[in-house]
Amino acid sequence: MMVLLLVLPLVGALLMLLWPKIAPLLTLLTATICSLAALQLLLQVSEQGSQQILLAGWPSGLAISLEANSLSCLLILLTTVLQLLVALYAFATYRRDKLGTGFWPLSSLLQLGLTSLWLSRDLFNLYVCLELLGLVAVALVSLSGDKAIKPALNYLLLSLFGSLCYLLGVAMLYGAYGVLDISALALQWQTNILSTAALLLMTLGLMLKAALWPLHGWLPAAHGAAPAPVSALLSALVVKGPLFILCLLWLQLASAPQAVAIAPLFTGCGLAALLLGGVSALRTPFAKNMVAYSTVAQLGYAMLALGLLLRFNQPLFAAALWLFVLAHALAKAACFLAIGEITATLGGKRLNTLKGASQTMPLAMFAFAVAGGSLIGLPPSGGFLAKWALLQGLWLQGDQLLWLLAIVLATLLSAAYVFRVVVLAFDRADPVAPDFAPRILPQWLALLPALAVWAMALYSEPLLRLLKQEGL
Amino acid sequence: MSLLLFDATLCLLLLVLALASILSRQLVHGVILYIAFGLMMALAWARLATPDLALAEAAIGAGLTGALCFSALARQQLHLPVVLSWPQRLWPAVFVLLMLGGVLAALLQLPPTASPLVDVAQAELINSGVSHPVTAVLLNFRSWDTLLELVVLLLALLGALQVAPAAKATTSWPLSLSWSRLLAPMVILLAGYLLWAGASQPGGAFQAGALLAAGAVVLRLNHQLNWLRWSNFWIRLLIVSGVSAFVLAALLAMLLTTDNTDVIWLRWPPQLAGGFILLVELFATLAIALTLTLLVVGEPAAAEQAQQNSGGEAHD
Repeated sequence: MMVLLLVLPLVGALLMLLWPKIAPLLTLLTATICSLAALQLLLQVSEQGSQQILLAGWPSGLAISLEANSLSCLLILLTTVLQLLVALYAFATYRRDKLGTGFWPLSSLLQLGLTSLWLSRDLFNLYVCLELLGLVAVALVSLSGDKAIKPALNYLLLSLFGSLCYLLGVAMLYGAYGVLDISALALQWQTNILSTAALLLMTLGLMLKAALWPLHGWLPAAHGAAPAPVSALLSALVVKGPLFILCLLWLQLASAPQAVAIAPLFTGCGLAALLLGGVSALRTPFAKNMVAYSTVAQLGYAMLALGLLLRFNQPLFAAALWLFVLAHALAKAACFLAIGEITATLGGKRLNTLKGASQTMPLAMFAFAVAGGSLIGLPPSGGFLAKWALLQGLWLQGDQLLWLLAIVLATLLSAAYVFRVVVLAFDRADPVAPDFAPRILPQWLALLPALAVWAMALYSEPLLRLLKQEGL
Repeated sequence: MSLLLFDATLCLLLLVLALASILSRQLVHGVILYIAFGLMMALAWARLATPDLALAEAAIGAGLTGALCFSALARQQLHLPVVLSWPQRLWPAVFVLLMLGGVLAALLQLPPTASPLVDVAQAELINSGVSHPVTAVLLNFRSWDTLLELVVLLLALLGALQVAPAAKATTSWPLSLSWSRLLAPMVILLAGYLLWAGASQPGGAFQAGALLAAGAVVLRLNHQLNWLRWSNFWIRLLIVSGVSAFVLAALLAMLLTTDNTDVIWLRWPPQLAGGFILLVELFATLAIALTLTLLVVGEPAAAEQAQQNSGGEAHD
């Protein structure tokens, strides 16, 4: 099943390169099959426990090991389902938006890169996955044509620098311990300068690639310049890949003193991301950049949860971390698709374009508002679940009033930038006239992930149980 | 003693060339110095007893990257004198020095023992189908990495096709044309040898592919081989064949596994492993050669498509 999930998008992408004409249909087909396979894998794993395979049939250590635990399976399911949704949206709009034929094979390769990243438990293989992911993301951003070249090039250079830092860290660890498999490495782990330096280097590279504050500078330009379906994929999924590796490193490899020592850095960066990212989102005049800055801010929650998890070792924080990742992915996909659809129809990039959108494009605006509700953390959405887990964890630790205050402030900020859009959209006095009749189907497709994130609340109990157990 | 002197000179030369290529005022000079740096780097790898890396560095680092830089320079239209202020230069330097210091301090702690994996790999070498350990690691022990790296190379081409600027008409120089034609058979022969030798000694798909690409790039820049473009279906098929032959071979190997153990992705049957690896390498060589050629030549996909549409109808 794991192999099918890896091979199918790859073969699909190769066929799309050969016959570009059938590419859209082929993308939909592979994404559908992969979603079903991912669901099947998730059910299998939740019944029988995590599956492990050693590729190429060599003994452990020599071979690359893949592991599907319930977290990996959930993330794979999220990837394939979002892939399917975005592919449907792209299929509905690609003629109108003149989306390049390159989109289809690239998005399939993106799925391959992410799936293999969620499964891999080998430091060097993770580097290859990171490289794959970075290059796909840059190629996807450059689909927008000449205006995207500069952000794409910046993204490429920073992403390469991040990869090199990570690779250097891997080389140091391999030099010291002579193994690349994470579980084997964890057994021999020693706390010394070498391992600390390697961890810090890898963290620097991964934070750069995941656009975690203060290394987020490339993200708004790159995600803002990309076509709407691409921004949705990048914001929802691609930045989560390096975050996953970061969690793998600090939760599975680092020794307890190292983890406790780094925790203040992560919580501090998370808090700064929440506050400063929120302020930037409030101030930017461009619609897509606002959504991109909101990604920077929301990644702060994940950072905060990771830092608190390292410090207090409380499973509720692990659940909060992954719930944030899941909820943010769904909500952000909806936001980008809705904003993309509105700006394409009303013609303009600035937030002022959205004036009166609740009248001209009510469905897309509804999708944005619903997804925004989850970003704020209104009950009963996925964002609320995550925030509740975080607050509950803090409450159980006791005496964490300062953190509670900071989270309340961050929530107010996210409410402010979401309502900034909503208020503008309800300004019906002089609405911006659409360039052409708004289309219904793409708006519904933007609404689907937003509804899914609210539906997460229905499965809150199994989700919480599963993520508390297996937050890596 | 003489070797020590050679090494010291090489190190010094590397540093001087690196600095000179960064500091040179004209981009052309910088590129030339960079090519020289690549050649010296290849020598350094050879001195460090890693001939595989030396071959790759000579072909990619010095050869193809140099050609890429030159063809990029030829297409560059603007000559903007970039003036950086002192703080702008200082911050990166301080940052790099700090990082370098930290990494060096950490590297001093490295234990002198070799990895335990080396013994395991040597022990399993007989079952891998090839006798050169580097090839065994790349195409058998960790073949999934290599497969993904081939995808990465393909992706680099896909990305470059999207942003490639329109080609500028240039005239070729008759001497370089006839010289490149003379070289072509030699290049093909050498690449074939490198590929074949990879099973037992340094060499293999990547080096052979890079060499082939170097020959093709020279011809292509001299306006030969005009069929060598992305819009040509057969070229596309060959470029994709590197990855698809890998996948197909893995699927075939799964089918051939008859014993009752569960099938494992990318496991070659032990008796046929050598054949499988050669097959995969052959297609990988062709794919790498064509991918690198198109990457260096860098023509936009869209313009080609339009050209092909107008020309294609005439053909049909």
